[in-house]
Amino acid sequence: MKVAVFWGCRILTSQYAYEMSVREAFPKLNIELVDLSETNCCGDPVKSMKDLAANYLAARVLALANKTGLDNLLVPCNRCHFVISEAKNVLEKNERFSQKIIEVLKEEGLEYNPNVRIWHVIDFLHDFVGLDNVKKAVQKSLKGLKLATHVGCQIIRYSDLGRVDDAENPRKLDELVSALGAETVDYAEKLDCCGANLMYSHSDSALSLAGTKLSVLQNLGVDGLVVSCPDCGLMFDSKQKDAGTTVGAKLDLPVAYYTQLLGLSLGIEQEKLGLHLNQSPINQLLTKVSP
Amino acid sequence: MSLTDLMSMAKPNVEAREKILSKLSGRELVNCFQCLKCTSGCTALKLLELKPHEIVKLVNLGFVDELASSDIIWTCVTCLKCVQRCPQKASPYHVIMALRNLAVEREVKVPEGYLKAVSRILESGLAEAVQDVVTKKMEIFNRESLKLPKIAFPKESFQAAFMKIMEER
Repeated sequence: MKVAVFWGCRILTSQYAYEMSVREAFPKLNIELVDLSETNCCGDPVKSMKDLAANYLAARVLALANKTGLDNLLVPCNRCHFVISEAKNVLEKNERFSQKIIEVLKEEGLEYNPNVRIWHVIDFLHDFVGLDNVKKAVQKSLKGLKLATHVGCQIIRYSDLGRVDDAENPRKLDELVSALGAETVDYAEKLDCCGANLMYSHSDSALSLAGTKLSVLQNLGVDGLVVSCPDCGLMFDSKQKDAGTTVGAKLDLPVAYYTQLLGLSLGIEQEKLGLHLNQSPINQLLTKVSP
Repeated sequence: MSLTDLMSMAKPNVEAREKILSKLSGRELVNCFQCLKCTSGCTALKLLELKPHEIVKLVNLGFVDELASSDIIWTCVTCLKCVQRCPQKASPYHVIMALRNLAVEREVKVPEGYLKAVSRILESGLAEAVQDVVTKKMEIFNRESLKLPKIAFPKESFQAAFMKIMEER
């Protein structure tokens, strides 16, 4: 089964572990990823500046996906997933916008196609590949691990757009973690935001949001936090040290992308999953996984 | 970070209010009955005193100029909880985004991070610069050494197209 993939900026420019683990794990589930012939920003930061231009950027991604001839587009980044989903909605409803955008795309020889189905890693694995098939593919169980999940904001809200999971009680990521044999915990702060979007304007506040959530999780005594968005990965893993300094806590909580854990369960070598790139003390978690 | 006190002598700007409302077709701000569901769940409330219900009220009253030039509209984390939970579909997030767009149009001071992102998009098509990463063992990696494929930057025609749409009125 072939699926087009749009990575967005953050994964391609710094969150390499997410990209590596998706590229390694998906073929083991018989999914062949087809990169777009070109890439561009989905439009997220531009939404705050000029919404027409933001929607154009998102529509350009869909037009590039259209060029692959495939019906399904995987978008592993939460923000890109939201921006593209909302742009689809706007183009459907706002004729002036859609005419303008379609016209500019045409000048580049691109054709907008609203019928490309957008998937995130979570619903793609849970609903498209199927939870049972994920379970069947597991070679090495993560039994014994107690993990917390952080779904992030923009793939679950707002429901009118059609989102990846329930807005107030998302379960799919937890179920995917359980499918690998690990235990998941519920916690009151589950829906709290990582703060990444504030990095544009109020970085201390952004780090404080991340640090507060990490402190809660550390006190909860979990073995690690599972994320599935490059922004959340940036805040909770790459910037964990800074987040700790901001809130005055000594943080040492392992944070991993779901696809890294999936890859481990599928028997893929740690290095190929980019586990050496995690900035959080990931070894604490890895040593608990039975060899 | 100060906002107009509702008891102040400021004069509402009806025209600007209409402009914001026109950007929000289908989202009926006037239906907001100040239930505070947005503010009670707001991620930025705790740290930055963003009160989405106040923003909606101020727009309804026509204090758009004050909002467009205020720092407060740049404190939204875009967690989208207010959109999800608003019973009246007034969705403060979209109001805030419309105000940010207006601030940019008026060339009010915009946080540098956003300006940088747009100039990067113009330059390379991406909002972020490609980075080397340093591991805990102080080893440096990049896409090539990680055996990741080269980034397929957009072809030249993209730049002109993006400029054109950015200049569109």
